[in-house]
Amino acid sequence: MAEVVLSHVGKVYTDGTRAVADLNLEIVDGEFLVLVGPSGCGKTTALRMVAGLEDISEGSVAIGGRVVNKMPSRDRDVAMVFQSYALYPHLSVRDNIGFGLKLRKLPKDEINSRVADAAEVLGLAEHLDRKPRNLSGGQRQRVAMGRAIVREPQAFLMDEPLSNLDAKLRVQMRAEIGRIQRDLGVTTIYVTHDQTEAMTLGDRVAVMRKGVLQQIAPPQVLYDRPVNLFVAGFIGSPAMNLVHATLERGDGGDFTVAVGDQRLQVSEKVLSERPDLERYVGKAVIVGVRPEDMEDATVAGDAEGRTLTAPTNLVEPMGSDVMAHLTLAARAAVTEDIKELAEDDGGRVLDESATTTTIIARFSPRTELQVDDEAKVYVDTDRLHYFDPDDGTAIWGDDNPATTTTPNTSQGTTEGEST
Amino acid sequence: MQHGRYPFIVGFLILPLTLYGVFVISPFVQAFHYSLTDWSGVSPDLSYVGLQNFQTLMRDGLFLQALRNNALLLLGLPAITVMLALFFAFLLNVGGAKGKAGVQGIRGNGFYKLAFFLPQVLSVPVIAVIWAVIFDPTSDGLANSALGWVGLGSFGWLADPNLALYSVLWVLIWGSVGFYLVLFNAAMSSIPRDIFEAALIDGAGRFSTFVRVTMPLLWDTIQTSWVYLAILSLDVYALVAVMTAGPGGPDNSTQVISLQIAQNGFQFGRAGYASAMGVVLFFLTLIIATVMLRLTRRERIEY
Repeated sequence: MAEVVLSHVGKVYTDGTRAVADLNLEIVDGEFLVLVGPSGCGKTTALRMVAGLEDISEGSVAIGGRVVNKMPSRDRDVAMVFQSYALYPHLSVRDNIGFGLKLRKLPKDEINSRVADAAEVLGLAEHLDRKPRNLSGGQRQRVAMGRAIVREPQAFLMDEPLSNLDAKLRVQMRAEIGRIQRDLGVTTIYVTHDQTEAMTLGDRVAVMRKGVLQQIAPPQVLYDRPVNLFVAGFIGSPAMNLVHATLERGDGGDFTVAVGDQRLQVSEKVLSERPDLERYVGKAVIVGVRPEDMEDATVAGDAEGRTLTAPTNLVEPMGSDVMAHLTLAARAAVTEDIKELAEDDGGRVLDESATTTTIIARFSPRTELQVDDEAKVYVDTDRLHYFDPDDGTAIWGDDNPATTTTPNTSQGTTEGEST
Repeated sequence: MQHGRYPFIVGFLILPLTLYGVFVISPFVQAFHYSLTDWSGVSPDLSYVGLQNFQTLMRDGLFLQALRNNALLLLGLPAITVMLALFFAFLLNVGGAKGKAGVQGIRGNGFYKLAFFLPQVLSVPVIAVIWAVIFDPTSDGLANSALGWVGLGSFGWLADPNLALYSVLWVLIWGSVGFYLVLFNAAMSSIPRDIFEAALIDGAGRFSTFVRVTMPLLWDTIQTSWVYLAILSLDVYALVAVMTAGPGGPDNSTQVISLQIAQNGFQFGRAGYASAMGVVLFFLTLIIATVMLRLTRRERIEY
């Protein structure tokens, strides 16, 4: 086990395409780091450079203190789980798992006992003599995991290991991967485009976009304090609602956000947390609000200056919550970041000129809201997010605690956040 | 079953099946028939001699010599060709340059593929003529002058009874490697790249990747190639007929069964006897192909 350090790592392909730029990651011993981002953001390339499957064009990668740039994969002592599992089709489950050990010329007894142990952990004991083609998708995935586990490597590298499984199995295997990693305490780099996997598995999550690291932080920090529109829009499902708004300071010194024709009151506490907001008074900003930070005002109770009204165009009861799709009279935020996210989201159509925005609110199931009703929405204005409309960065003070890049494995720290 | 489907199928099959029957099956049957006669090949008269032709064969020194030569080709050609073709295909595909990360072929892979495949587009007589010139036994010959430069002296090649058959074998290999290289190359590129990468990370070097991953995954293709080459090495008529002295010389050192059949059937007027040889060759081919397929049978591989 060891720490993995990427410093100023870049990848430029021979045709001049840049896949990764100046990537700095410091993954401490035993940490579970998730690399997440839309397809083509360079996360897999970064992982493959650590694995030794791609040349490192710039910077250096160190595993356990050794710089491995020129070291072939087999000497790096890492194990990889592939998206396709990449099992050896001609070998039994037993030989698949033991392949790496056999190549390292371990004694037969040792191989057998290690394979048996891994099979036990993964529930493959009765399938050891079967060939991969006779296994289900979930079992193949386990074999791929087993192949990594028995090696007892310095680091696990996982390249979207769950994306070929159906939804139910994915949840199950996700939990299992988390459990195994915790039990073994092996440093792990996990690549995924699924933000749920990222949030549930990672000690820290690194969000990448077009080869550039956007933010690296524990999942809850990432969720609560995204550094820019891209991270804000990418993390969270349903996504954060983003609309154009203006910051205003009233005569009484009270601070308001004008969303379309409606106004939301913001407490002084927010200002002290985000001193830079002061500079945006009278200017346009992009305001973000998470679906769960809104509630049906008839359920939450009316709060002066903290409600919006908007017609309802769709109500989706989920049992535990109700997803209300509302047509808010405010201009939708459409920036490069958001366009890219929409593209990753299956080409959702964005209309820059529209004067209304569909926002999604997560209401309590006690709501009696119906389609076409005029919804009164209570907004938790302490938890609004503010972004600069030009460059998309989050508006904080000088010391946004979320931009920290130093390792911090304590999960779910939310500095100074209270509502 | 829809109405009129059988006439439709039969309609399509009747012509090819008739041609196959007339030009492939019937000559085989006729050969079996003639092998029991003393037919000269031209005269309308023939009489049955039972198995006498086959008894003569067993004592025919020339035929036995041809059989031995074919056996040597059978041992050498498939093994060497398959090994070389596999080796080159592996280099072209995954043998990659040292110091480079990941799984990739060597540089200029397209050029090598073309270069190796080139002999395949030449007809056998052309190959035979080219190599007959290269193997010129005088010290001015191409092969000999090349060896002369590096101080290895000159050889008789096709003129040396001890070397002639090996020279033939060499030309056969030279002519076949390219095709099998392209075949293996195609088969290899259908193996998911991930599997090679997994092997790399599991700690496999080039050699163990080749032996433990590539070979088993290509087994079906290798097996088929092996049988094909075995059948080829029992034939080799055209090359020997054009390239060697005599042909079949010197001193019958390159004599092969197919050459014997042609000589007996068309030159010596012993068509019945030649047919008997053909029958023996037929069974030999059948047995060897069956045995090879049996011995090398493995479980089918699916990705």
